[in-house]
Amino acid sequence: MALSADTPIQTGIETDVALAARGDASAFERLYRTHVARIHSLTRRMLSSDEADEVTQDIFVRTWQKLSQFRGDSAFTTWLHRLAVNVVIERRRTFAIQRERMAPDPAVLDSLPVAPPRADLTVDFEHAIGQLPPGAREVFLLHDVEGYKHREIAVMLGVATGTSKRQLHRARMLMRKHLNG
Amino acid sequence: MHEEWTDKLSDYLDDELSPRERQAVESHLRGCAECAAVLDDLTRVVERAQRLDRRPPRADLWDGIAARIETRGAAPRRVSFTLPQLAAAAVVLIAASAGIAWQFADRAASRSADIARSTEAQSRASSGYEAPAEREPSAERSNIDIAHVSFADAQYDAAVSDFEKALQNGRRRLDKTTIAIVEHNLQIIDQAIEQARQALETDPANDYLSGHLVDARRRKLDLLRRAAALTIESD
Repeated sequence: MALSADTPIQTGIETDVALAARGDASAFERLYRTHVARIHSLTRRMLSSDEADEVTQDIFVRTWQKLSQFRGDSAFTTWLHRLAVNVVIERRRTFAIQRERMAPDPAVLDSLPVAPPRADLTVDFEHAIGQLPPGAREVFLLHDVEGYKHREIAVMLGVATGTSKRQLHRARMLMRKHLNG
Repeated sequence: MHEEWTDKLSDYLDDELSPRERQAVESHLRGCAECAAVLDDLTRVVERAQRLDRRPPRADLWDGIAARIETRGAAPRRVSFTLPQLAAAAVVLIAASAGIAWQFADRAASRSADIARSTEAQSRASSGYEAPAEREPSAERSNIDIAHVSFADAQYDAAVSDFEKALQNGRRRLDKTTIAIVEHNLQIIDQAIEQARQALETDPANDYLSGHLVDARRRKLDLLRRAAALTIESD
């Protein structure tokens, strides 16, 4: 029986998702190679370089386990990324990093180092992001780098939308200082 | 720098302000070079953030992932049917059910359970097939309970074979119309069984397909049992 006769034309990713969901590890490896750069960049920025490899692996193993739950309501890339963000947030909570995330810290505006004299501006910028207070960094990365809306971030982090907005502004002001340094 | 205004600049940049607030900020920015400069800086920050590249890990992580997913086995399978496929399956089942109901509804009410028990006894003697416990009398009494039949191939095939033999032996006792209806419905059910088997070859761990196959096999056994019972009833 030709089960695929009436199915719509699929992209390469959709085909690999369907194959991987049926247990095809080769198809899943292709999905990994397509998405690993984005996922690893997310984990490296949200956590640290030391944790990024391990957490990236966790994310893809979790993806494999949950593929049967992917219903195609959104693009696979969107679904995977959301799963990755959840794993990262869970990790941060496990290590209680977020305990001080939303704590007011006016002095931090002066604590961010100004731009060091490096040739690679991207590395400088990433380094500066890494120096942001945890809460501000989370929101900055999710909003400005990853493109989530405040209402989505609020749900992910379990905070009010207003808190997300304040943390974003705080992060941007700190990064502004870095750029002007 | 006017903090009461700069605090609104991120929301302004993200279009999160009400029209009234937005208008007020724009009015202030026109007269405040310092706040306008802050807005320019924030815009640059956002643009830089959006341009950040995505870098893969320095070492390939796949081997570690592959080892973990192989240890834990294949990903759970999922059901994937198109609407036309589901509709076709529904038509088959409805047709089979309607045919069975039309043929037996008014005949089996009083005697079919008893007849079936005698047929079962014959089958049990030759195949080792275990009949289920008797149900309490109910509106469904005519539907012989085969819910607990094991549908493992050998046992099922033996039961089907017995009923087919009984039906063949008693065929002459049934009128042509009845035979035609029974055979037509068996054909429909066999098609459903075959389609489910073929689909399971493609997706062997699909729970829905497995259930569909078991259901179709149960329907076939039920139809054969009832038809065999009719041959006895007609004596």
